[in-house]
Amino acid sequence: MECTTCGPAPRPDRPHTFLAHEPAPCPGCAETREARVVLRDGKVFHLIFCADCGPGEAQIADDAAAYVKAFVARAEVPDGVVGDHLFKTTTSTCPGCLALVEARVVIRRGEVFFLKDCARCGPSEALVSEDAAYYARAYAFARAGTEPLAFRAAVEHGCPTDCGTCDDHEQHTCLPIIEVTDHCNLECPICIVDNQYSTHVDVATFARIIDGLVEAEGQCESVAISGGEPTSHPQILELLRIASRPEIGRVVLITNGLRLGRDRAFAEAVKATGAYVGLQLDGFTADVHEKIRGRDLVADKDAALCALKELAIPTQLIFVATLGVNDHQIGQVVDLFLSEPHFLSLNFQPVAFTGHGGGQFAHDPTRRLTIPGVIRRMEEQTGGRLRYTDFFPLPCSHPQCVSLTYLLRLNDGSHLPFARFVDFERYTTLLRSSATLPSSPDVEDALEEVIHEVFARQDEVERGPEVLAALRRSLDEMFPAQPLPAREAFRASERQSKSIFLHHYMDRHDFDLERLRKCCHHYPQADGRIMPACGFNMFHRGAARGPGTPRPSWGKAPIRLPVVG
Amino acid sequence: MGLLDGRIAMVTGGSRGLGRAICRVLAREGADIAFNYLRDDDQAAAAAAEVEALGRRAWAYKVSVLDRDGLAAMVREIDERAGGIDILVNNAGFGQVVPLALMEEDDWDRMLDTHVKGAFLSTRAALRTMVRRRYGRIINVGSLAGIKMMQAPVHYATAKAALRGFTEALAKEIGRYGITVNCIAPGVLDEGVSDHLPPNRRDEYLRHCALRRLGRLDEAAEVVAFLASERNSYMNGATVVVDGGV
Repeated sequence: MECTTCGPAPRPDRPHTFLAHEPAPCPGCAETREARVVLRDGKVFHLIFCADCGPGEAQIADDAAAYVKAFVARAEVPDGVVGDHLFKTTTSTCPGCLALVEARVVIRRGEVFFLKDCARCGPSEALVSEDAAYYARAYAFARAGTEPLAFRAAVEHGCPTDCGTCDDHEQHTCLPIIEVTDHCNLECPICIVDNQYSTHVDVATFARIIDGLVEAEGQCESVAISGGEPTSHPQILELLRIASRPEIGRVVLITNGLRLGRDRAFAEAVKATGAYVGLQLDGFTADVHEKIRGRDLVADKDAALCALKELAIPTQLIFVATLGVNDHQIGQVVDLFLSEPHFLSLNFQPVAFTGHGGGQFAHDPTRRLTIPGVIRRMEEQTGGRLRYTDFFPLPCSHPQCVSLTYLLRLNDGSHLPFARFVDFERYTTLLRSSATLPSSPDVEDALEEVIHEVFARQDEVERGPEVLAALRRSLDEMFPAQPLPAREAFRASERQSKSIFLHHYMDRHDFDLERLRKCCHHYPQADGRIMPACGFNMFHRGAARGPGTPRPSWGKAPIRLPVVG
Repeated sequence: MGLLDGRIAMVTGGSRGLGRAICRVLAREGADIAFNYLRDDDQAAAAAAEVEALGRRAWAYKVSVLDRDGLAAMVREIDERAGGIDILVNNAGFGQVVPLALMEEDDWDRMLDTHVKGAFLSTRAALRTMVRRRYGRIINVGSLAGIKMMQAPVHYATAKAALRGFTEALAKEIGRYGITVNCIAPGVLDEGVSDHLPPNRRDEYLRHCALRRLGRLDEAAEVVAFLASERNSYMNGATVVVDGGV
């Protein structure tokens, strides 16, 4: 069972690829339960957890490849069909009461909708993808997950109630997001958390969380330090230093950038810790900031960008894309991202209507931005420098969660998406959740093949000779005659390419339990639990519909710790 | 039916000596032949005529193995004419009897360049089609002097030894594309680079050779034909010694 992300120990007990959820009869009692559809040894199985009978399984097909092909083909709408075309069913949430309900996944005029009918609140609809073809094809990218070294919860009642993560979770923690404070210096109308202004995680607790992560994962390619606004934590620099240990490749400080722009000494201190910065940057005009972040932040963002540039701090830009608010500035952020070498990755997050702000943000759940919509705008607003076809689903998470592309830096300073010269359907191992490609054997093997492919087809490949020259430069810089120290080698590899990710966090409208099942972005908690992000936001944070959203009976509230500092 | 029916072979240094014999044997086995040569147009014409007499097509190119652009143009033209190279024989080379004490830097460079850099440039030019088509046979012409301690010019032995390393590393690198890379290591043959071998060295060779005779060009060329054929589907990265048993 191969992880396509970080590659810790494979999961020998269940060497399968999780594909989807669907209702199926329990082999014990024949009651309809939600089953995991998994691919194993070239065959297809239902894995069913029945609260009455326990775990069970049944083979449903003997040719996994044919099954997946037929599964994707279910999305082909027959000629003459003008109404809704049923693609599949899954489990979602009622947007009114958050109860788990069946969702019919239908295709309507080329888009994908969830149709739900809650016994208590009635019917509801939600747009989940603006491109049915992309949505269906994404399933073909499903890849096996990887087992963490340790699970934190037993399987007792089934997903999502056992969260923490349980033994039935289909992916380890690719990206831990540690919320170190619930204080913030902004009140964002689209805030997806629920700041109580009560807690800064104390240093000892934070160190324990990091220890727990290393215990569960062995090593983490990246750890995100978030909040609230993490720079409001009085000991944030100490936390960054604690997280900067050999088992962790990259510590990313997720921030709105206000303090970085105003406090140069602080920015320099952040730089000295070796941390990376994930800068929230949702637009370039006062009206956008006011609608999304509550006030005009143009000067603050400029100051933060200036500090990051002058200090050459490796930076990820995070753009929460909101229909009718900032979707016209998507091309502009791409331009900015490509303009400076210290910008390593750009992360678009189609807005999720959950949390203290986002749960109340005015919206129409049937008309919103999804991943295909953001990619289309990128193509339109960059004059085709980025194309729709440059982006692929990330296989290690659920393929509906994340889309990405890598861009190779050519020797003239411009960038070319890898998809122009790499067949990602063939080299899925290169589709990873990390900002840069790691130097692992499978990646090196795939890259070697890519080099030969481009070499052989350089007359057909767009800018083929330039791609070869850039690949050669990359080798020279990453593997110089005098070997680089590990950290410098890591940085050298980061300079060769950039990445653009689109991550669509879920809310009460588009929540899909099968996506949660394979979530790899997790919130580690002070008590050792590691909570998949969207499940935590939906059921445990208590703000899925805004502040004061009732938790289900099995909800596990965030632990409030004593205030320090 | 020949071993190489329908195949397209490119032989470097194909106008004379072992290269010419290789052209002849590969053509006899059914391959069309493209070869390059450096100087002698008459020899090239004669070599091409031999191929054509066997019913195969022949294309002669007057281009050095050190001329990157010329090689690229040659390969492009072969692609257009014949649809791509299946077999590459890196044969171009020469012998020069000179002790190290008298060896000039130019001697060294010319020897290493022709044998080693020439093989590199020729392979680079021909490899693109092979990778694209997921098929290829590359045979490098080394020498017994490259794998055994014997009285041979130092620069010659060095160049031939380099071709063995070239063979092994390349075989490892491109085997995934269905391309095999092998090397032959002939002993002393009765024509070709051994033409100027001093008599005492020739005699010494015969004293150590189990077959008690020099090899013939066609005997080495037959091994090349086998290595280039689909009969050889699993030998890869190997150096085949063709020395009569030394």
